Amino acid sequence: MNDRRRINGPAGATLAPFFDDAAPQDLDTRSTRSRPPNATRKLLLKTGVTPSASGSAYLEIETSAKPGLSGLKLSCSVHGPRALPKSAPFSPHIVLSTHVKYAPFATQQRRGYLRDSSERDLGIHLETALRGAIIADRWPKSGVDIIVSIIEGDQDRETSKLQGDEVWDMMNTLSGCITVAAAALADAGIDCVDTVAGGVAALVQDADDGSAPSIAVDPIPSEHKRILAACCVAYLPTRDEVTNLWFRGDLPASDLDLYTSLVGHGIQASKNANRVLIDCLSGTVG
Amino acid sequence: MPITILAPRPSRPTRKHPQEDASVTSDTDSEAGGVDLDGDLPMTTTRPSKRARLNTTTTQSTAAFEIVTPGEIITDDPQWMRGHGTYVTPSTTAITSSVAGTMTRTNKLLSVRPLRARYTPEVGDLVVGRIVEVQAKRWRVDVGSTQLASLPLSAINLPGGILRKRTETDELQIRTFFAEGDLLVAEVQQLFADGGAVLHTRSLKYGKLRNGVFVAVSGTGGGGGVVRSRRQVWTMEAANGGGLVDVVLGVNGYVWISKHVETPEAGADSSSSSKAAAGITNMEESVSTTMYSSQNDRIEVEAMREIARLRGVVTALVENGLRVDEDMVVRGYHEAVEMAMVSAEGPDDIYLGGERGQQLAAALRGA
Amino acid sequence: MASSQHVLLSPAELAYLHASLSLTPPIRPDGRSPTQFRPLVAETGILPGTNGSARICFADGTEAIVGVKAEVERTAQRPGEETVFLEEGGAGGDGDDEEEEAGQGLDKRKGDASWVEMTVEIPGLRDDDSGTAFLAAMLSEALLADGEFAKRLWINRRFHWKLYLDIILISPPLSYPLPLLSLTTHLALLSTRLPRLKSEGDEDPFFDDDWAAAPYLFPRTTSSSSTPSSTTTKSPTPAATRPPITLLVMAVGNNIIFDPSKEELAVADVALAVSVTGLSPSHETETGGGTAGEKQTGRNLRLLSIRTIDPPSRLTAPGVANAANTAYGASNGTSNGTQKMAEAEAVEGVWRPPRGGAKRMVLGALVQKVLERGGVVDEVLDALEGADSG
Repeated sequence: MNDRRRINGPAGATLAPFFDDAAPQDLDTRSTRSRPPNATRKLLLKTGVTPSASGSAYLEIETSAKPGLSGLKLSCSVHGPRALPKSAPFSPHIVLSTHVKYAPFATQQRRGYLRDSSERDLGIHLETALRGAIIADRWPKSGVDIIVSIIEGDQDRETSKLQGDEVWDMMNTLSGCITVAAAALADAGIDCVDTVAGGVAALVQDADDGSAPSIAVDPIPSEHKRILAACCVAYLPTRDEVTNLWFRGDLPASDLDLYTSLVGHGIQASKNANRVLIDCLSGTVG
Repeated sequence: MPITILAPRPSRPTRKHPQEDASVTSDTDSEAGGVDLDGDLPMTTTRPSKRARLNTTTTQSTAAFEIVTPGEIITDDPQWMRGHGTYVTPSTTAITSSVAGTMTRTNKLLSVRPLRARYTPEVGDLVVGRIVEVQAKRWRVDVGSTQLASLPLSAINLPGGILRKRTETDELQIRTFFAEGDLLVAEVQQLFADGGAVLHTRSLKYGKLRNGVFVAVSGTGGGGGVVRSRRQVWTMEAANGGGLVDVVLGVNGYVWISKHVETPEAGADSSSSSKAAAGITNMEESVSTTMYSSQNDRIEVEAMREIARLRGVVTALVENGLRVDEDMVVRGYHEAVEMAMVSAEGPDDIYLGGERGQQLAAALRGA
Repeated sequence: MASSQHVLLSPAELAYLHASLSLTPPIRPDGRSPTQFRPLVAETGILPGTNGSARICFADGTEAIVGVKAEVERTAQRPGEETVFLEEGGAGGDGDDEEEEAGQGLDKRKGDASWVEMTVEIPGLRDDDSGTAFLAAMLSEALLADGEFAKRLWINRRFHWKLYLDIILISPPLSYPLPLLSLTTHLALLSTRLPRLKSEGDEDPFFDDDWAAAPYLFPRTTSSSSTPSSTTTKSPTPAATRPPITLLVMAVGNNIIFDPSKEELAVADVALAVSVTGLSPSHETETGGGTAGEKQTGRNLRLLSIRTIDPPSRLTAPGVANAANTAYGASNGTSNGTQKMAEAEAVEGVWRPPRGGAKRMVLGALVQKVLERGGVVDEVLDALEGADSG
């Protein structure tokens, strides 16, 4: 879809030519994972960053590929609950609408201003994750807008493009979106059954020699040779319930244990994020 | 077998010559697969020869079921009056059809009933409807018609006595009587010129529906669907210990099948109701306590199974182009019970989709 | 929105449906068994102008058509790869349309997700509706998950097939259309054929005009066609995988229900869309022995993707218990009391929309049920294969 109202950048991106004496195959630009496989990256969460919104939160995840540089930067604002427009039909519940938008400069490939299909897809995932967490019947006849802006996507400059694995990035982004939206919802004072947080786990293969793949929590796609499967989980820790599960990859059906442990690791990652979320929310009061 | 994939067939099987008079039936129908057509169907294919006859013999009563198409001149005899589905071209006397359908004449009135159309309400129709909107003093009800019907607050039985004046309190808590999504059975009380209907539930047999399942079958006319008949509501004894089951066939094609609840006991059944004891002495009171309830009574597994079987019968009738009325539903139900008896899974097998439905329909046509 | 279609059912209906579906065994409103699908009518190859097509319709009139079109497209070259130099100045031309990137696989053939374009059209929904985007993303995700599918579209190092899958729902959706669309897409892909390649190496491709000689995109094993698949691609097809299918499963109480209708979905505790693919039965000897060690019946299934579908049950109106109903004059005016009542213990026969998420055990059980060897998926794949060849 073309955005005719603004002057956009060039349609196709080009990469600067790359000259090097060494054969390109010998270059291994991959940075390796320095964290233990079950450790998540550090994340910073702050609520109340947008005073004009009913609730807001900001999330930043440290990238371990280049120390000192941040990977994912998300900002979320919640508007509402507010009365539905007069034309809208009666609703016994709060009407949730979620918008996820990449800033045009957030990823390597420039994004337009209109939401594309992957952003809409993320929006639905986020809605599913949040719908299970909020107590919707406390707010009849009202609506709430949850807007997540991805200021900086979680992409490593050199490598991600070559691997063409933007899908795995989407999972990391979604898990961040869930956590930041949950913080903003709590900041807006909307009733929730529990705090929901996102977590990602992946089945990765680091060597070509056919060695057994291992499970890594909170993976950065550029740090691994190949990602076989990954899952993003939205989890309610005190109720021990999953509100959204997104799995993608290629797993033999005979090995269901692998799947179960993948989801288990995803939940573990979500629990870590949830601790930050709780700390952040209790810190706001003090 | 979790999935059945059937080979495609013509979506509307080419109908062979229908039996509209005896001579045609005897010579062609016997070998032309007349079994897939019920004699009751008011639907035929037009044949050129017959159409030619139609224009000349409009006054004959033998041509009972004739298909006319829009623009077709029915008659230019000025003695006829035009009814629904027709129009008169200015400066002529010719009555022309404006819809494709079957022609009916009542005394000197010519009207064409469309083959397939949405429900057109008529005063006195028993309809099943669903509340789609709640307004200040009335509800808007979906009855499958072109317009939403309206149900004024003054046209319902208010709780606490059947003849009570409505008060402002009632207006404020209008949603406690009927809310969005609620199903009700009502009668068409009045019609507006634009086709909109006004409903009323001022009778103990009307009101909110619960303890059962809903199924919408396509509108009236054509091959299948609910037809206006003598009785639209009846209670029948279900097989296999299912107890009594109520069936409500709304004229608008909305069907409600539920467990039969004895009205005087209704108050006593809902044990949580504090007014249960008073219910027996004052029937009006007790009825009104459960009139706007959205709480189901306890329903036995057997009853649920038989209700699902009845629902299957109704869907199978519609899918196979048979009319839906009391006679067909009751016959179809008994046929379905017998089919289940001889099936591999025994009497608990209630599935009536796909081939089973066709089998059922064939049995009903043959009977 | 497709994933949370607005359902208008009365609380009494919902309570009844929930009660009947929670029984063991559940009683479904249309009498099906928990694993049974709605009967459907299917045909393939209905559109002569496409590379592959299929149509499926349900008895209630819901109908979907899928058409597959393929176009030859130049593969964008990117730095870091072994550049192809040809007499006709290939490298210079390649730089012009460097719009999309191709993933570098270990295999000589490589594929890219952008080689497949899938669009879903649902009448009554806007083109940019999120629900439609979600459906399209779900279906293409399953297709591309294993990376093998895109490799089939490789012609040579400079050219590839670009496959357009257009999924059109003919009728307005009477139920969540995912299973219907997925099954139709599966059939269309099974019947898809690409012209036979006559050129060799990295030269500009040209193809055999004879459509009868065109090989299937997913080579048929049952029909034992004489056209060997190796003529299209120089390296033989690695495994006779089938296109994926995406099934909708839901849980109510302790029951797992396949292919739920709209009313059933409205009372679901949790609903999942699970995409699986299976190796065709004739190949199971080689692959089945490797993983399981012992010979089992059924296919080797592979799990490709799982998505949680937001069940519309959360958006339904709760029922009011008789004791709390102000319509009877009981506890009139004390709205606080009714509020408490709604939060309290569930009353039998009163509908309460589910709240919170799904237990891990339930999710695990759903996935396990789908992946059961020789289970539902197997029979569905068999039936679809029969529908295609028949």
